[in-house]
Amino acid sequence: MSYIHVSDLSKTYIVRKKKSGSFLAREKTEVKALQGMNFEAEQGELIGYIGPNGAGKSTTIKILSGILTPDSGEVTVGGVCPWKDRKRHVGRIGVVFGQRTQLWWDVPVRDSYDLLRDIYRVSRADYDSQLRRLTDVLDLEPLMNTPLRMLSLGQRMRVELAGSLLHRPELLFLDEPTIGLDAVSKLMIRDFLKQENRENGTTVMLTTHDMEDISALCSRVMVIGKGQKLYDGGLNELLSAYDTVHIMTVRYADPSVCPVLPEGCETVAEEDALKITYRPDAVPTPVLLSALQEAGTIRDLTAQPQNIDRLVADMYKEMGM
Amino acid sequence: MRALYAVFRMRFREELRYRGAVIGGVICQTFFGLILIAVYRALYDTRPQTQPLQDVVTYVWLQQGFFRMMLSFDGELTEKIRSGGIAYDLCRPLNTYAYYCTRGMAQKVTGSLLRSVPMMMIAVLLPDGWGLRAPVSAPALFCALLSLFCGLLCVCALDMISNGFTLLTLDGRGIQSLLNLLMMTFSGNILPLTLFPDRWQGVIRVLPYAQLLDAPIRIYTGSQSLSGVPAIWGLQLAWTCVLTACGLLLWNVNRKRLVLQGG
Repeated sequence: MSYIHVSDLSKTYIVRKKKSGSFLAREKTEVKALQGMNFEAEQGELIGYIGPNGAGKSTTIKILSGILTPDSGEVTVGGVCPWKDRKRHVGRIGVVFGQRTQLWWDVPVRDSYDLLRDIYRVSRADYDSQLRRLTDVLDLEPLMNTPLRMLSLGQRMRVELAGSLLHRPELLFLDEPTIGLDAVSKLMIRDFLKQENRENGTTVMLTTHDMEDISALCSRVMVIGKGQKLYDGGLNELLSAYDTVHIMTVRYADPSVCPVLPEGCETVAEEDALKITYRPDAVPTPVLLSALQEAGTIRDLTAQPQNIDRLVADMYKEMGM
Repeated sequence: MRALYAVFRMRFREELRYRGAVIGGVICQTFFGLILIAVYRALYDTRPQTQPLQDVVTYVWLQQGFFRMMLSFDGELTEKIRSGGIAYDLCRPLNTYAYYCTRGMAQKVTGSLLRSVPMMMIAVLLPDGWGLRAPVSAPALFCALLSLFCGLLCVCALDMISNGFTLLTLDGRGIQSLLNLLMMTFSGNILPLTLFPDRWQGVIRVLPYAQLLDAPIRIYTGSQSLSGVPAIWGLQLAWTCVLTACGLLLWNVNRKRLVLQGG
């Protein structure tokens, strides 16, 4: 059996809402967070888990990390059912919830780490070597003696990430690890995750809304919507289906040049440049290129793929979310 | 066990970070101690009671010293339950009941030790009729300490019941203020239990609230003879078992149906 095995997983929340127009009456609504989720994963995979808000991503992560008990379905992680054998399961996993903190607010980071060492029963030598490695890679040395509450969000996320890896988990869950971070911190965390996955074979499953995270990290993407799995496979295959429109910007040495373009291209003049939007399936890129070259001497030419967020938005829309 | 010991140590360190709160606590409790003693002295001036005044004074000082053990307020846990931060604690390979119970106990012990030691040093120096006096005998002190420990177990089990309710209602303030009110009244904090009518005392003394401070202080001052001490220990441990069983049941049931809302 595969390392992570999830079959027919379902979870329904009951939400009580106030009835509009009535002072006291409440109505119960059921929110089906997961409806028969299925997937398998092997050790060493780096899986991106995406979907719009409220699709059931966090619910899946919470069930897989043993916090939440599902209504029905079967899950095993390395042969253990997370909610039935919680203590055994959580000893082998690491979790980072991007919007919460796992370390102690008032004490220096180092003290929090020491406590985690005792909680996970890590031997002194093992802990020291792991901590040294994490400190180097994530550049934590200047933060170690600062209380957590005095760290910035980016610093805190690095510290949290290190905290979740002190006991060398074989499986790491990350729920929006780059939320609210600046570019430098994001890049650092992505590089670190890649390295962790490659060198230690840690299986990583991350949810995010940042498509850059996914394209930088994940070889496999799962898309969830309304509690069901809609796609499972490579990111490029997923995007190519939606990547239907390309944009090319061209600048001529002589700005007055006006190229004659094939049917199906839209041209917008922008200062000294022309912005051409076309569909590669209707107008092959080489045909467009030769038409542009015939018109005059090209000073500069750039081709942009479509914005990845736009693609994902299109995809969610088409999948009916 | 090592992990629980580490949790205990951590809590101690957290407490030490707020030195201002410790100094404030010492001043506040010394002040309250003096006011209460002044009130009892006024009472004794007009209508002497059977209980010697000095015993009541000692009772007041010890009560003030271990005041922090009585109050059930783990603001951090309540906040964690409200905000969902409890998710992380559920991801630890620990028994969550034992974990929170240890945390609560550490908070009570460290909070009261840090405040009671300086306060008692002041109280010992005060003149007779105002100050704290030594225990009746060395064995009495030993028995009182052991009884204080049993009482602490009992109170922690009581707190875990209120924490179990917090898991259910998401807001612990209601149940905690109710428990704190019962605790203040029946533990002898508002009025030493020795000053309650005799018939009331018979009932109040059996309640779990009296186990924390009233029982050990009576052993300390000698108003409880040593021959009756095993019965007190037995009562304390019996309450601890019953309350722990209830708390565990409540905690486990509510933990299973716990829903962590939001992303």
